[in-house]
Amino acid sequence: MAKGNILNKLFASGPLLLLYYLSISEIDTNLEKLFEILSLNLQIIIIYFWIIKRPNLMGTGHIFLAGLINDVVMGFPLGISSLSYLVVCFVGNYVRNKSVNTTIASDWFTFLIALLFANLLFFSLLNNFSDITISYAKISYNTFFTLFLFPVFWFLFNLYQMSFIGVQDA
Amino acid sequence: MSVSRDDFSIAFRSALLQRGGAQKFSVLSLIFLALIIFFLDVYGVKFTKPIRGFINDVVYRVTFLASTPTRFFPQAGKDISSYLSVREENKKLKEQLEKYKSLELNVEFLSDENKNLQKILETEYFNKNLTNIILAKVLVDKNSPFLKSIIINKGTRIGILKGMPVTKDNYLVGRVVETNYLSSRVLLLNDLNSRIPVTLDEGAQAILSGSGGKNPNLEYLPEDYEILENTNVFASGKDGIFNAGTPIGKTTENGEVELFVDPNQLSFVTVNLIKPTKEVF
Repeated sequence: MAKGNILNKLFASGPLLLLYYLSISEIDTNLEKLFEILSLNLQIIIIYFWIIKRPNLMGTGHIFLAGLINDVVMGFPLGISSLSYLVVCFVGNYVRNKSVNTTIASDWFTFLIALLFANLLFFSLLNNFSDITISYAKISYNTFFTLFLFPVFWFLFNLYQMSFIGVQDA
Repeated sequence: MSVSRDDFSIAFRSALLQRGGAQKFSVLSLIFLALIIFFLDVYGVKFTKPIRGFINDVVYRVTFLASTPTRFFPQAGKDISSYLSVREENKKLKEQLEKYKSLELNVEFLSDENKNLQKILETEYFNKNLTNIILAKVLVDKNSPFLKSIIINKGTRIGILKGMPVTKDNYLVGRVVETNYLSSRVLLLNDLNSRIPVTLDEGAQAILSGSGGKNPNLEYLPEDYEILENTNVFASGKDGIFNAGTPIGKTTENGEVELFVDPNQLSFVTVNLIKPTKEVF
């Protein structure tokens, strides 16, 4: 019984652990070697999916901390990733409050809004308040592929949820 | 109408202020906190610098440890395949060694001749600073789509300053842009924010600017200058940061510069401890 509880807790912390691991490790989702313009922001997908489906697994404090870690590792000004993650979190919370049942189509559409707000904030803050220059093209490609690949991860995370956590929605 | 507006405001407020369960903090309070941290960091208030340095040092070390499995498995694969082909490799290495032995005599002769000629010309031996270099290990090499940089395991403790040139096998790879007590961040030549004055084989001056892709570009070349393929590119040293003559790469047919060192394959680099004559970044 106790073993089962530990396993359940471990599976339930899976998304959060993945979020932290992606932020702190060298693993990246910049797949330039496969295709020159291919890169995506997996952290944003993770946050949005789990905030919509199981908000009790993804605390806002953890999201904030993962953003700070990501900034340190990537070399961005502290707080900028946290802000964009929290914007995603806010849109996710709003969508969850307003909707009774969500489908992949509705999640995909609302994810577009969250992603646009998050990347707009990220880009404008970086552009206006720091010395770092980033390419418009790169951020556009990143936004596009993050949006484009969202359904793939939606299915994977949904599968994970059904297999290891349970189907009960928030 | 008013009901739907109420719905909107309730959902909006709830999304910003809701707490409970795993949500120990409201989104709004964390957004404010993140904004405060951001502006404190960007505008560099005096007390934030050492704190940021300390956080950087700790996180870089943890990142290095967390990335060990991702580094171990590819390396183990390489080790096993090289172990299997060790005999063949040994034969090849013996052949290469013979070749290099003969080349070494040549180099020694040319090096002595060069020194003597420089003495005659009463110029300084340009490699005098090479004794002042330190070897550093690459702690983190996270391939970001926006910033091309690496983190090395040496910092201000052993005298690294912002702007110092970083090389590998005497080829320029970038410069230090952030220093902490135990670690530093090196901006690679292919980063969009990198600008370096260079000189080409024929003596033409240009600026090497990172493109954010694999190969940087040449800008501000003389008018009507036609870039030929395989022209060597060196640091001109005009910025007072890089040693004049440090090799960087060679031109390609589409006008880009193919770097001599692949920026994605760095595991050890050397930092030249020359004090830059001006502040960079």
